[in-house]
Amino acid sequence: MDGLIESMYFSFLDPPNLRLKRPSWLKAPTPMVLFGVILASYFLVTGGVIYDVINEPPSVGSTTDERGNSRPVAIMQYRVNGQYIMEGLAASFMFTLGGLGFVILDLCNSPLMPKLNRTMMLGLGFSCVLIGFFATRMFMKMKLPGYLMG
Amino acid sequence: MAGGEGSEVNKLLNNTAAWTSLLTFVILALAWFVGFASRLFAIIRFESIIHEFDPWFNYRATHHMVENGFYNFLNWFDERAWYPLGRIVGGTVYPGLMVTSGAIHYVLSLLNIPIHIRDVCVFLAPMFSGLTAISTYFLTRELWSPGAGLFAACFIAITPGYTSRSVAGSYDNEGIAIFALQFTYYLWVKSVKTGSIFWATLTALSYFYMVSAWGGYVFIINLIPLHVLVLLIIGRFNYKIYVAYTTFYVLGQVMAMQIPFVGFQPVKTSEHMAAAGVFGLLHAYAFLKYLQSFLSRKEFRYLFFATIIIAVGVGFVGIVVLTYAGYIAPWSGRFYSLWDTGYAKIHIPIIASVSEHQPTTWVSFFFDLHIMAAVFPAGLWYCVKNVNDERVFIILYAVTAVYFAGVMVRLMLTLAPVVCVLSGIAFSYTYERYLYDEGEAKETPTAVEGKRSKKDEDSATDDQDARNRQLYDKPGKAKKPVKGSGGTTSGGAGGRADDEEGIGMNVRSIVSVALVLTLLMFVVHCTYVTSNAYSHPSIVLQSQTNDGSRVIMDDFREAYYWLRRNTHDQARVMSWWDYGYQIAGMGNRTTLVDNNTWNNSHIALVGKAMSSNESAAYEIMRDLDVDYVLAIFGGVIGYSGDDINKFLWMVRIAEGEHPSEIREGNYFTESGEYSVGPGASDIMLNCVMYKLCYYRFGETKVGYQQPAGFDRTRGYVIGKKDVELEHLEEAYTTENWLVRIYKVKEPANRPKIKYTERKIRTKRAKSSYPKKGKAKKGVIKMKPVVVKGKKPVIKR
Repeated sequence: MDGLIESMYFSFLDPPNLRLKRPSWLKAPTPMVLFGVILASYFLVTGGVIYDVINEPPSVGSTTDERGNSRPVAIMQYRVNGQYIMEGLAASFMFTLGGLGFVILDLCNSPLMPKLNRTMMLGLGFSCVLIGFFATRMFMKMKLPGYLMG
Repeated sequence: MAGGEGSEVNKLLNNTAAWTSLLTFVILALAWFVGFASRLFAIIRFESIIHEFDPWFNYRATHHMVENGFYNFLNWFDERAWYPLGRIVGGTVYPGLMVTSGAIHYVLSLLNIPIHIRDVCVFLAPMFSGLTAISTYFLTRELWSPGAGLFAACFIAITPGYTSRSVAGSYDNEGIAIFALQFTYYLWVKSVKTGSIFWATLTALSYFYMVSAWGGYVFIINLIPLHVLVLLIIGRFNYKIYVAYTTFYVLGQVMAMQIPFVGFQPVKTSEHMAAAGVFGLLHAYAFLKYLQSFLSRKEFRYLFFATIIIAVGVGFVGIVVLTYAGYIAPWSGRFYSLWDTGYAKIHIPIIASVSEHQPTTWVSFFFDLHIMAAVFPAGLWYCVKNVNDERVFIILYAVTAVYFAGVMVRLMLTLAPVVCVLSGIAFSYTYERYLYDEGEAKETPTAVEGKRSKKDEDSATDDQDARNRQLYDKPGKAKKPVKGSGGTTSGGAGGRADDEEGIGMNVRSIVSVALVLTLLMFVVHCTYVTSNAYSHPSIVLQSQTNDGSRVIMDDFREAYYWLRRNTHDQARVMSWWDYGYQIAGMGNRTTLVDNNTWNNSHIALVGKAMSSNESAAYEIMRDLDVDYVLAIFGGVIGYSGDDINKFLWMVRIAEGEHPSEIREGNYFTESGEYSVGPGASDIMLNCVMYKLCYYRFGETKVGYQQPAGFDRTRGYVIGKKDVELEHLEEAYTTENWLVRIYKVKEPANRPKIKYTERKIRTKRAKSSYPKKGKAKKGVIKMKPVVVKGKKPVIKR
């Protein structure tokens, strides 16, 4: 079959002498690269980027206080269906931080790690989880002051 | 508790398997119970009642089915909706929900348990939440381990993302569809693992149930082919997948076509073409695999690429050509807006107007998932790290669901199950590392102690957590050898040997206790959100007074009951489409438009009537035979979801169909704001909706300090207080002014002007009737007259 096609095509075609090589950077992505991509997109989606694109809120809100000065406001209060851009990104950063904390907690169980590193990793991962958790909780309380109050 | 007793009985019986299954059973039963109980807030506070909007239609249809039988239901033509068009209900509804509750009702009545169909409907979704938990357990067990499965089952039982659609009384398709979704995925994973026709057939059956229950089945029929495609691309093809997919595809599509509403869509719409394409590709691939045995390596490579490229190319071109030729319907707008997120906003205002179709903010993610939003990436990481055929599936599920949830708030519902699965995996894996590795002799007692002391503190929320903690105590032991043999955690087994010095026992227990605490917070959060955010019946408004007691405002039912009692049976009620189902369900009156938004131009006509001035609206209302007009007005009590706030959407939808008469810009103030205050435009202040809402409102005062005509929802005094109605008259206004009903007047008599006062005196028209016979009724000329026969005289 190969021969047949060759004899047919190349009877009237003169193939140019090309050396095509796959570019060296083109490889199947490793699972971890893939995970990085997924995590990045997760970060963006939970941050409400789609909302930002469609509704185009300001990055940070502003309000006027009693003296007439305009002050920046980080969080759009009392609106579950609304947000400022930075607010969403900060919150989703905290989500991602918590997730990474769990991953680090897993990593520090690897047997090849010296004791000091292990303790530091453990502390790091653990604090990541806690910081992520309490920060989002705090954001929530700023957003809806009545949260968990009844 | 479990650990202590378990070790005793271990000595006696030495039968861990029995204990594991007992614990599994108990935990799942408790998850079912907690899931059921936490969904009852609305019922306990109020009464057993159907919520919201769509459930009212589902209830009405179920009621119809139970009364008239299944076949009459399928042939039901509802002339009380979409007047004057009517609606073919049997052909435009997913009947799974009605059939499910009808079947339950039937079985119960066979057992001589008398129960009203309404109660079956109200409690259906909470019951199914338990089934969802169980199918999630099975799915996670197939993907990872039984321990992770139990975690996932407990998570899904109470996660607000799923509770929001399945509280008691929210009798909607999603309530049963999530169960069908999870169960279908479990069966699919099972059939990929075993490659047996049996499991694939069960998958197709479960898919059939899903198709009959919810339009979201499109998610399954795209995700499973995607899974197969990705497995092909990354070179994990085997004949198990071939058997599973071909069986599932053929049977599933044939069965899906049995649903009247779906009909020939599986072969005719773009949503299903991906599945068909993968079906073809899989066959081409399998055929090549078969040819491989006859051909040399070089020949085969040549043939392989040629065939794959030709197959893909021909398939793609074929689908495109068929789409252009009109044999295949292109993507529907609702579906298309998932890809092009701005699409709905520009082209289909009716989709964009629904609040649950809005894109999601971070608050929704936190609200619906809480700690799981953070744990979810970790679970994903474990799956990516130890990838196999079925974990590819959960990864794809996660990625697609996250994207969809970001686009529409409502699709958070499909994200919640996968988040529960992955969080279950992450928690179970972490606990396995931090509780088990150290050696159970040391570690387990501390964990048990920690649990005991906390158990006393908080018994209400703790049973959820107790279950969570049981998970790592007991099933972990049984599961460990399985994992070791699976080769997934070789590092874990090795780590245990020289770990003894690594992390101290104290540190480990601190980590685990802290994680338990976060789980506790999760339970508190779920209960809080379920109770405060997702348990409002929405047909009954409740507010809190200063002393904390609840005030219940029952205006909606008051108004619908008034309609039911005081209007003619055939009266037509015009309202915005949101209230169509409720008027039909509770008021039992004919509506013009309802929540089944299938006819955009009809809705636009109603929108036009609402947004034009009274005389123009009157013409439309006469054309549509409207008897009553109903408007929802929240200005007195400060209810923000009323028609004035929705009014811009009416204008937009009307503008889409009648751009020459309705212009959105005309309804804004000069500075471009939407307002009904003093600066509002004349067109705004004279439109029917404004008049309906603010008729006689200027005479009232809502508070002592406020001036007359102060609107609480908007927070300012309205622009025009002396509203006069010409063609409408007020018929009924509820206690808190929430619902206002107006009667459409008959056309007025023409004014009579005496002949002497007329400006133009034509010749006095001669009446066509003779004056003398005026009292007589009119006669028709040439009317056939019945001549009474005489009794023939018979002569003899």
